[in-house]
Amino acid sequence: MATFELYRRSTIGMCLTETLDQMVSGGVLSPELAIQVLIQFDKSMTEALEHEVKSKVSIKGHLHTYRFCDNVWTFILQNAMLKYDEGVENVESVKIVACDSKLLSQ
Amino acid sequence: MADPQGLEGNQPVDLSKHPSGIVPTLQNIVSTVNLDCKLDLKAIALQARNAEYNPKRFAAVIMRIREPKTTALIFASGKMVCTGAKSEQQSKLAARKYARIIQKLGFPAKFKDFKIQNIVGSCDVKFPIRLEGLAYAHGAFSSYEPELFPGLIYRMKQPKIVLLIFVSGKIVLTGAKVRDETYTAFENIYPVLTEFRKVQQ
Repeated sequence: MATFELYRRSTIGMCLTETLDQMVSGGVLSPELAIQVLIQFDKSMTEALEHEVKSKVSIKGHLHTYRFCDNVWTFILQNAMLKYDEGVENVESVKIVACDSKLLSQ
Repeated sequence: MADPQGLEGNQPVDLSKHPSGIVPTLQNIVSTVNLDCKLDLKAIALQARNAEYNPKRFAAVIMRIREPKTTALIFASGKMVCTGAKSEQQSKLAARKYARIIQKLGFPAKFKDFKIQNIVGSCDVKFPIRLEGLAYAHGAFSSYEPELFPGLIYRMKQPKIVLLIFVSGKIVLTGAKVRDETYTAFENIYPVLTEFRKVQQ
């Protein structure tokens, strides 16, 4: 089964990758196993976001750029307002990368 | 859409050219041009901004620019279609901008055989129209099937323009290659519309 690797660039994903790198170079972990861990991370992130996260965010801003290629939408919003349960945040620029989860089950 | 009558109000209408006193507003121009080089659509979609490429659905990159606000369909053959401009000049300017974008991505794009393919205009005669009477009197040119579409479709022969005529008095003119065909078609139909003006109770 294919996985989305986009969560590897999140803080938690970067930390995991860094740790795995250290373990591999330290000889405590085989590279193959490290890759398996990353694939499991992809799956777990997708599952957790789907089932464990209840909060919703709404984002409103000026659409500066969009792109659709290889089934991935990319949006760059300027002067965006992010609204979530705990409050509102204004940011100068935000990039949204969105994949179609239906493609995972194919 | 602030001024549906186009030039009217801003400057006096040339009554020798527009005896009705109404100038149809151009709403959409479709043009084509040949960039005369093979294009890698995926590379374009990945590098250019505001591009969509979904080869499973449609074999062209769909790209948009904000000024002039238009959409381009860019094909791997190098052929391009530019839609959405409000005038012939704007359509050409937009097509040039798209060609520049393609050039900047490293393709040896030319600008060959630019051509306006269609001009759509619209206007409002500001009185209601008896479509059934019009369809009956001009049966050879008219198609009026209110169960299918609320407007009367009038296929004018000279100039060869298709008009959509609505009860409200709103008119859409399409099929022109030059704007004068739109204007002539409207001046041809205007006396007919006044003839079939609906008298309100």
